[in-house]
Amino acid sequence: MSSSGNRTNRRDLLKGTAALAPIVALAGSRALADGRIKHDDWASSAPAPAHPTTADYKPTFFTADEYAFLIAACSRLIPQDEHGPGATELGVPQYIDRQMVTPWADGGIWYMQGPFFPAKPEFGYQASLTPKQQFQQGIKAIDALCQKQFQKPFAGLAPTQQDDLLKGIEKGTVSSPDLPLKTFFTSFLLKTVMEGYFCDPMYGGNKDMAAWTMIAYPGVRADYLEWVGEAKPYPYGPVSMYGARG
Amino acid sequence: MSRMRNGLLGLSALVVVGVVAVAAVALHKPEPQISDALAQRKPDVTRGAYVAVLGDCVACHTSKDGKPFAGGVPFETPVGTVYSSNITPDKDTGIGTYTFPDFVRLMRFGVTPSGGRVYPAMPYTAYAKVSDEDLQDLFAYMQHGVTAENAPSRKDGMTWPLSMRWPLALWNIAFHDDSRFVPDVPKDTAWNRGAYLVQGLTHCGTCHTPRGIALQEKDVNGTSNLFLSGSVLDGSSPINLRGNIGDGLGRWSVGDIAEVLKTGVNIHSAIAGPMAEVVEHSTQYMSDDDVKAVAIYLKTLPPAPDEGRATFAASDATIKTVLAGKETSPGGRMFMDSCAACHRESGKGETLAFPKLAGNPSVLSADPSSLIAIILNGARLPSTAGAPTGLAMPPFGWRYGDADVAQLASFVRASWGNGASAVTADEVSKVRARVEPSRAKAQPLAASTDRVTAGAGSR
Amino acid sequence: MATVNKPVDVVIVGFGWTGAIMAMELAQTGLSVLALERGKDQDTVPDFAYPKVVDEIAQSARNGLLQNLSQTTVTIRHDKNDRALPYRQIGSFKPGTGVGGAGIHWSGVHSRVMPDELRMKSRVIERYGEKFIPPDMQLQDWGITYDELEPHFDRFEYTCGTSGKAGNIMGKIIEGGNPFEGPRSREYPLPPLIDPPTSVLFAKATKELGYKPFALPASNASRPYKNPYGCQLGPCNFCGFCSDYGCINYSKASPQTTILPALYRMPNFSYRTECHVLKVNTDSTGKKATGVTYVDAKGAEFEQPASIVVLAAFHLHNVRLMMTSKIGQIYNPDTGEGTVGRNFCYQMIDSVNLFFDNKTYINQFMGAGGVGQEIEEYMADNFDHGPENFIGGGVIWGRQTGNGPVRGIPVPKGTPTWGSGWKQAVKENFLHTGRIEAQLSNMAYKGCFLDLDPTYKDVYGTPMLRMTLNWQDNDLRMSEFFGKKLDAIGKAMGATSMSGRVLKRGDSWDTRAYQSTHINGGTAMGADPKTSVVNKYLQSWDVSNLFVLGANVFAHGIGYNPTGLVGALAYWAAANIRSTYLKNPGPMVPV
Repeated sequence: MSSSGNRTNRRDLLKGTAALAPIVALAGSRALADGRIKHDDWASSAPAPAHPTTADYKPTFFTADEYAFLIAACSRLIPQDEHGPGATELGVPQYIDRQMVTPWADGGIWYMQGPFFPAKPEFGYQASLTPKQQFQQGIKAIDALCQKQFQKPFAGLAPTQQDDLLKGIEKGTVSSPDLPLKTFFTSFLLKTVMEGYFCDPMYGGNKDMAAWTMIAYPGVRADYLEWVGEAKPYPYGPVSMYGARG
Repeated sequence: MSRMRNGLLGLSALVVVGVVAVAAVALHKPEPQISDALAQRKPDVTRGAYVAVLGDCVACHTSKDGKPFAGGVPFETPVGTVYSSNITPDKDTGIGTYTFPDFVRLMRFGVTPSGGRVYPAMPYTAYAKVSDEDLQDLFAYMQHGVTAENAPSRKDGMTWPLSMRWPLALWNIAFHDDSRFVPDVPKDTAWNRGAYLVQGLTHCGTCHTPRGIALQEKDVNGTSNLFLSGSVLDGSSPINLRGNIGDGLGRWSVGDIAEVLKTGVNIHSAIAGPMAEVVEHSTQYMSDDDVKAVAIYLKTLPPAPDEGRATFAASDATIKTVLAGKETSPGGRMFMDSCAACHRESGKGETLAFPKLAGNPSVLSADPSSLIAIILNGARLPSTAGAPTGLAMPPFGWRYGDADVAQLASFVRASWGNGASAVTADEVSKVRARVEPSRAKAQPLAASTDRVTAGAGSR
Repeated sequence: MATVNKPVDVVIVGFGWTGAIMAMELAQTGLSVLALERGKDQDTVPDFAYPKVVDEIAQSARNGLLQNLSQTTVTIRHDKNDRALPYRQIGSFKPGTGVGGAGIHWSGVHSRVMPDELRMKSRVIERYGEKFIPPDMQLQDWGITYDELEPHFDRFEYTCGTSGKAGNIMGKIIEGGNPFEGPRSREYPLPPLIDPPTSVLFAKATKELGYKPFALPASNASRPYKNPYGCQLGPCNFCGFCSDYGCINYSKASPQTTILPALYRMPNFSYRTECHVLKVNTDSTGKKATGVTYVDAKGAEFEQPASIVVLAAFHLHNVRLMMTSKIGQIYNPDTGEGTVGRNFCYQMIDSVNLFFDNKTYINQFMGAGGVGQEIEEYMADNFDHGPENFIGGGVIWGRQTGNGPVRGIPVPKGTPTWGSGWKQAVKENFLHTGRIEAQLSNMAYKGCFLDLDPTYKDVYGTPMLRMTLNWQDNDLRMSEFFGKKLDAIGKAMGATSMSGRVLKRGDSWDTRAYQSTHINGGTAMGADPKTSVVNKYLQSWDVSNLFVLGANVFAHGIGYNPTGLVGALAYWAAANIRSTYLKNPGPMVPV
C-alpha cells in the first residue's frame, strides 16, 4: 500500500475560501492531520508479541535430532559455569527455532539472486543458502561427521569431544564435503547463539534477563542522563521490553 | 471541547418523563427577535470565519476524510450514536434554506426551523451567550464563505423511545439559560472579552464545568466557584481552570495560559487528548488579544473549594531516592522504566518538550482519568504554527496491566511534592475499557524481583 | 504505459535530510513541491517509540531501519580487472530507507569542513609542490569556498540544534573549542553534551600529550531546543541506542524532529512513499529534465512531470540515477574520460578498543551517537605532511556511542571466541571497555570509480551500481601514522590492553564488518565540467534544471562525518536556486 501525503482536502478548501485565512488554516490543519501516517499508536508502537522461554517448548521448525544438536552446541558455546548461566539454560535453542520463521531465515533481508561465485572472505557471504538451509545442512553435515568418526550424533559426544570438533570447524581443520562448515559455524551458528543469549526475553532467549544481569547490562532501560557523567556502577538492574525487572 | 458524547446520560430518565409531558411545551418554537439595527447591519463574512474558529464548529461538523462542515462525525453516547449535521449552505442537506432567525433559533435554543430539537451535544447552552453581531457574521460566513456539500445527514443509531427528541424541550425549560452575555461594567474590556468568549463562543464550560444530575452544567454564568472547576468526560478529566494551587491554574501566569492556547505547550504542561483537537482547530488561530483576554479572565477565577483536591509543594525527596539507587517501590520503578527517559527522574520534564509531572494540573486532577488514559494510550500534542512538532508519547497500555498502571499513576500523583489521591486498579480498568475497548487486557508483570544492585551485575 | 501525473514545480527524489531541506526551502517560495520516497512513512511515534525501537535484534542484528538489500544493492570489487560481487548483507556501510532516510539511524556527529579541504589540490601544490601528489591520485579543488558555505553550515546547525563549543568566532580563537576550525559566525545553538567516561579520559590524556581536545559537535541536543522552523527537540538522555536506531525522545536531529512537522503544514508540499524512481526523464535535446518516472508499491508505473528535478536520495541511488538516466558520460578509467562515477571515495576508520582495570567504569551501554572529545591536530593540512609523505588527514576521537551485547562486546586480544573463557572475558570487561578511533580522509584515485554492473540487476530490472575501490598506499600510510597516535593516546588513557583494527599497507577493503556509511564522490562538484558532474550550485552541467545533492558531490572523501557538509550544501543549493535560478532558469555557471 502506498501512503500519500497529498492533502487534497486542504487544496479544495483553498479554492473555495481563499480569502478566509483563519478558517482555511483551521480546516486545513484537520485535513493535514488526516493526511499523515494513520496512527494506531497502541498497536503500531508496541513490540512484537512476547514469547519468553518456556520449560516445555516444542520446536516448530527443527526436527528432534536437529534440536538435540542445537541444545548440545549451545551448551558448549556458552556453557553454564561459575561465571553465569549457559545458553541452553537461557532458552537459546528456543530463540533459534523461533527465528527460523522470520523473513531473515529465508534470506528475506539479503540479496539472494545469482549468479553466485566463490570469493575472498572480505566480500562477505556469497553462498546461495538461506539461514534456514545453513542450519539444516550444517547440522546434518556435522552429525554426519560425528556418525562417521564416533558412530554417534554430535549430541551424543562427550563435552570435550564436542569442544574439539567445534574448535576444528572454527579453525577450518575439520571440514565436510557437504558444506563449508567454518562459514556455518561462524556466520550462522555462533552468531545466532550470541543473539539468543543476549536478546530481549520476548524473543525466547535470555531467560529472566540472566545474561544481562551477568554482565550488568540494564537492558532496554535507555535513560542515563543522571548517570552518564559518573564513572561508577549503575545501581539498577535490567528491564525488559515487556517491563519485567531483574 | 464540545463533544459532549455522554451528555445524554441522564436523558433516558428524562425521555420517560417526556413521554407524558405537556405537548404544548414540547412543540413551542421560540421566535428570535431581530432588531432593526441588526437587520440594517452589513454582515462581515471574514469576521464570521473567525467566529467559526472561536466556536470550533469544524471540530464537530467535519468527519475524518470528509469535506469541511459537511457533518457526519459520530458521537458515541450511552444511548446510541449521534451524528453531527451538515452545516454547509447546501439547500437539500445542509443549512442553505435557513433564514437568519432560523440560525439564531438553533444557536440559542437548540430548535430547528421545523421545530425539532437538537441534542445539547451541540453547545447551544453556551452559544446563547453569543452576541447578535457575532451570530450574524457567523451566519454570513456559513452561507457565503463555506462551500456547499451535498451530504445527507446520517441517521442516528438510536431506537425508540430514546430517538424521540421532543422531551429535550423539558430539559431546556429546566436547565437552559438563553440570556445573552452581560458585561461586568467595572471590569475592563479585556476581562469582559475573556468572559464573553469563555462563557459563550469557546464554550469552555462544556467540558470543564462539572455537571449535575441531568448532565446540565452546574454553572454557565461564572457566578459560582464551581464554574470551570474540572469535570469528568469521555474517559478524560478536563482540568480545573480556576486558581487552585494544586489541580488548578494557580501557579500559571496570564502569559502561560495564553501560550498553551496558542501553541499547545507551556513551561508547566502540554495539552493532549480531546483538548489537543481544540488547540489544533481553534485556539491556536485565536488572535493574541483574544487568548490574552481568555487568560486574564481565567486568572480572576478564585480557587474552587479545596475539599478533595490535590495539593502541591515542590520536593526533591523523590529524585534523591532515585539517584541514591534506592528506589524500590513498584510504581517508582515503573516510572524509571517507562517514563523518566523523557519526564526525568526529577518529574520536571524538559521545558516545552516533555511536560512536567510535578505540579501538573492534569496529573493532580481529582479524577485521574486523563492521567490513566495517557499512560494507557499515549498522547499526541497538537501541531500548531507556533509549535508544529506535535510531540507524541507512546502508549504503555500493552506493557502494564491495570494494577501496574494504578501503582504507576499513584506514584506520579504522590511524588516530587504532588499530593493527589491514589489510583485503583478498578479506575484503570474502567478507563481502559473506554479508551480502547477492543484491546486485550495486558497481563500484569510476572512476579518480578525488584532488586537494586549495589555493585555491578551478579558479582 | 506509465500514468502521467499532474505536473508539479519541483519533484524531489528521496525524502531524507537533503530532500527535506530542499523541500522546505523551495516550498517557502510558494512552488508546488512533491517528494518521492522509496521507503515507508515513519515518525517518532509509533515507529521509534520507546521501548519498541531499542531492540538490538530488530535494529542491529536484522537491520530494521536499513535498506532491504533483497530489493536493490550494489556490487563490489577491488580492482577494475576483477569480477564484482553483490553486497548481499549489510556490512561495512549502512544505507537507510524510508522517510528521514539515513537521518534516522545516523549517530549525530555534525562537523563542518576544514577550509583547506575544499581547495586541497591548490593547497598541496602551494605547500609541498605538484610532485607531492601521487600520479594516480585525482586530486581536485571543489570549486567552492568555506566562506561561501559558512552561512549554510550555520543554518543547518541551527536547524539541528547542534551541541558544541565554537573555537573560532569570526576569527577570534575561543578557548575550549576547535582551534583549527574555519571562522564561524556565531556560537553553536547548544552547549556541549555531558562527557561520558571515555571522553573524560580521552580529553585528559590528549591534553597531557600536548593536544587541544574539544567536544565533538553533536546533533544530539544537550538542552531542550526549538529550531527556527519551530520544531522542538528534547535533550538527549544518553540512552545508548543511537547509530542503527531511531531516536526515542526527539533529541537526535532528523528530518522528522527538525523539519518535517513544519513542512507538513505547508499546503503546497506533498510527498508519496513507496515510490521508487527509475529515471530522470529528459526532453529530445537531452538538456532539459521533464520529470521522473517511478514505480509504486503495486508495481504501477507513473510519470511525474516537473519543472525542476532534485536528486536527494542516498549517495548510491543519486549516482545510479544519473547513470540509468544517461545524463552525462560515465567515467572510463582507461581513458580518463567521462565524469559520472569518477572520484568515488570511501572513508577509512581505525578503531581501537581500550580495556581498563575493574575499578575504571566506562559503562559503554550509556552514550550518544555524537558525544565525545576529539583532536584535530592531524586533520586536513593542519600539520606538515612533508616528512610523513602522504596527503590527507583525519580526526582522532574518544566517543561513547552506546553499546549493547547483541551489537558485540569487545574482548581483549587472545580471548577465545566462545566457551567459558569468552564468557569470563565478556563479564569482566563489559563495564570497563572504551574505544578511540581515527576517522580519515580518502583521496580520489583513477582506479576507484562507480559504474553500472553488467551482470546483476535489482528487482526493478535496473543494473546495480558497481563499486570499484580498494585502499591505496597514500591512504594506508596515513592510517599507519594515525595508528601510532591512537596507540600513544590509548596508553596515556590508562588502558591495560588494547585491541582493534588499524588499516596498514597491504590491507584490502573488507566489506563484512561495519566501517562507515560515509561514501563520497561519484557526481563530484567542481569548476570544470571535464572533471565534475555538477557546478558549485550542485546544478548538473548537462541538464540545468537538475540538481544533485548528497555526499556524492564531494570531490574527495573528507575526514569528517559528511552530514554537516551535506546539509550545508543542500541549504547553499536551495538558497541559490531561490536567489538566482528561479529568476532566470538556466545554467548558473556558464559552461
